[in-house]
Amino acid sequence: MTNIVVLVKQVPDTYSERKLTETDHTLDRESADAVLDEINERAVEEALKIKEAGEGEVTVLCVGPDRATDAIRKALSMGADKAVHVSDEALHGSDLVATSRVIAAAIGKLDSVDLVIAGNEASDGRGGAVPAVVAELLGLPQLTHAHHLAVEGSTVKVDRETADEGITHLEANLPALVSVTEKINEPRYPSFKGIMAAKKKPVETYTVADLGIDAGEVGLTNAWSAVQSASPKPPRQAGERVEDDGEGGTKIAEYLVGQKLV
Amino acid sequence: MIEWSETDELIRESIREFIDKEIRPRTDELESGQLPPYDIIRKLFASFGVGEIAREGFDQLIEHEKRKADTGSGAGGSAAGSGGGSGFTLAGQETMALIAISELAGVSLGILASAGVSLGLAAGTIMSKGTLEQKQRWVPELLTFDKVGAWAITEPEAGSDAFGGMTTTVRRDGDDYILTGHKTFITNGPYADTIVVYAKLDTGDGTPIRDRKVLAFVLDAGMDGLERSTPFKKMGLGSSPTGELSFDHVRLGRDRLLGETEGTAKDESADSGRESARANFTAERIGVAALSLGIINECHRLCVDYAASRTLWGQEIGRLQLIQAKLAEMEIARLNVQNMVFRTVEKLRAGTQPSLAEASAMKLYSSRAATEVAMEAVQLFGGNGYMTEYRVEQLARDAKGLMIYAGSNEVQTTHIAKGLLGR
Repeated sequence: MTNIVVLVKQVPDTYSERKLTETDHTLDRESADAVLDEINERAVEEALKIKEAGEGEVTVLCVGPDRATDAIRKALSMGADKAVHVSDEALHGSDLVATSRVIAAAIGKLDSVDLVIAGNEASDGRGGAVPAVVAELLGLPQLTHAHHLAVEGSTVKVDRETADEGITHLEANLPALVSVTEKINEPRYPSFKGIMAAKKKPVETYTVADLGIDAGEVGLTNAWSAVQSASPKPPRQAGERVEDDGEGGTKIAEYLVGQKLV
Repeated sequence: MIEWSETDELIRESIREFIDKEIRPRTDELESGQLPPYDIIRKLFASFGVGEIAREGFDQLIEHEKRKADTGSGAGGSAAGSGGGSGFTLAGQETMALIAISELAGVSLGILASAGVSLGLAAGTIMSKGTLEQKQRWVPELLTFDKVGAWAITEPEAGSDAFGGMTTTVRRDGDDYILTGHKTFITNGPYADTIVVYAKLDTGDGTPIRDRKVLAFVLDAGMDGLERSTPFKKMGLGSSPTGELSFDHVRLGRDRLLGETEGTAKDESADSGRESARANFTAERIGVAALSLGIINECHRLCVDYAASRTLWGQEIGRLQLIQAKLAEMEIARLNVQNMVFRTVEKLRAGTQPSLAEASAMKLYSSRAATEVAMEAVQLFGGNGYMTEYRVEQLARDAKGLMIYAGSNEVQTTHIAKGLLGR
C-alpha cells in the first residue's frame, strides 16, 4: 500500500494572457482562465499509475484560494481518492518559503505518507524551488526533475533530466519526494465516470491556523522578496534572414553556434 | 427547471479538452477523408470510459436476459431502456451523452455520424432484436469500437421510402438464405466490420415486392459476395466515410438472421425488420436536435468573438445593427433548440420519451435552425467565412446534412401531420 500525496496548483491557463495585478504585483487571477497546472496533471497521472500497478491511495494537496476547488476537482476526476485544500486569505502573496512551510505542515497532518509527487515547477511562478524546500522541511530525500519514475518495494527510482547534467539515475528509500517534468507522461482525460465520482470524494479544508502556523509568517507582507515593478514582455523582434547564395548551410550553422543553440 | 449541472459542465470541459488536443489539429486530414475517424473514436471511447460504461450496461442486460430465460418467461429485447430503443439505458445521465455529442458536433459532425451509426444503429439494432447469442457474438466489440459497425437500409431507389422501395432480396436456400442487392449512402460502409442489412424476403409466392416481409441480417466483412466501395465525396460530414455495399449471392446462415425468426406471417407489422428500424427513428431524431445545438453553439461562439474583434471603418462590426440582427437570430435559435433538448432530457428522466411526431418536429426545426445559423455565420464572417480556415463554412456544409439525414425534413413534416391528424 503506497500512500501518495500529489502537490497541485491552480494556475492561469498558459493559452490566455497572463499578468500581474497593478496594485501589489501578485498574480492577477481574474485576468485569465484558471486551470490545473499542466505539469501537475502529469504528477497526478504518475501517482495514479503507481496506484493502479499495485495498491495505494492518492491524495491531492492544494494551497490556493477558494476557486482552486476547480483544479482539485479535476485531479479527483482523473482518479485521485481524496484532497486537502489549504485556503486562507492570509496566504495571499506568500513567497515560496512560506508556501512550502504550509505544504509541509499540511502533509504532516496526513497519516503515513510514502511518496510526495510534485511538478518540477508551476507554469505561472516558475520558481521551481518548492519541491526541494518541502523535502528539506520534511526531512525527505528529494529526487527532482524526474522524467521517469518507478516504485519498487520500498525504494523509488528516478531518471533525472537536466539541461546541464544530462540524465542521472537516482534511487532512494521511501518515504521520499519526487518532482516530475512535463516529459514524464501524457496525462489521461477525466472519464465520465471519474467526473461523476469526483463529486462524492472527500475534500478536507484547512486554514493556516488549523495547521498551527501563525498568519504573521505568511502572506505578501512577510515575504522575503518583493516585486518592485513589472512590465509586459517586449514584442518579438524580427528574425534574421539568410539568403542562400550557396553558403546558406554554413551561415545557419554559424548563427546557431553564435546563439549557443548547438 | 432544467439547467446544465456542474457535472455536465465538467464533462463539457473535459470533452473540449479532448477536441482541442486530439481533433482540431487533425481536422483537415479528417475532413478530406485522408484519415478515417476510427482511431480517434477509439481514443475518445477509451479516454472517457464510454466503452466501459456501455460494456457494463451490456453485461447487466445479458445477465437480466439470462435470468429471464431461466425462469421460463422467454428471452426478448424488452429490456431496452430510456436510450430510445437502442437497448442501452443512460442511467440518469441523459445530459452527459447529449453534451458530449453536441460538443463534438461543433467540430466534426462526421466523427459523430461514424460513432453514432456504429454504436446506436448497428449495435443498438442487434441489442434490441438479436438473440442472446447474437448479442454476445457481435455487440461487445462494437461497444469498444474494436469493430466498426454499419447499418444498411437505404438503397439507390429507396431513401425515405425505405421499406416500400427496397429491392435487396433474400431467398431461402435449405437452412440458409441467399442475399442479393445494393445499399448506398452507408455510413462506415467502406470500413465496416459488422454490418446490419435489411432485405425483403422472396418466398416465390408472388407477393408484390412492396408488400414483402423485411428481415434484418448481420454480416461480417470478408464474406464471399460482399463488396464495400471506396468512400464517396460529400458536401459535408467529410470526417465520416460513406459508401456503397453490394451483395452478390451472399450465403447467410440462420444464425445471422436477427432474432433467428422471420416473425409471424399473419401480423404484417410484426416482421422483425420494419419494427426494429422504426424503433431507431425517434432516437435518431432526438439526436439530431442535440447535434444541431452543437453546431449552433459553435457558430454562436465564433460569431460573437468575431463581431467583437473584427473592425471595419474603425469600429467593431458588432456595433453595426445588421450584424447585431444576425447575432440576435442566432441567440433565438440557440434558446429554442436548447429548450427542445431540455424537454427531451425531462422526458427521459421521467422514464418516457418524445413521441415520433414530437421527435420529428424537433428534428425538422433544429436542423433547419442549425443550417440557417451556420449560413448566417458564413455571411457574418464575410470573405473569411468562405475560407476553410475560419471553420464556419464546414459547419454550414455539415448542418445541411442534418436537413436530409435521419429522414428528410419533408418526411418529418408528414410525420408531424400524422401525429396531429391521427393518420
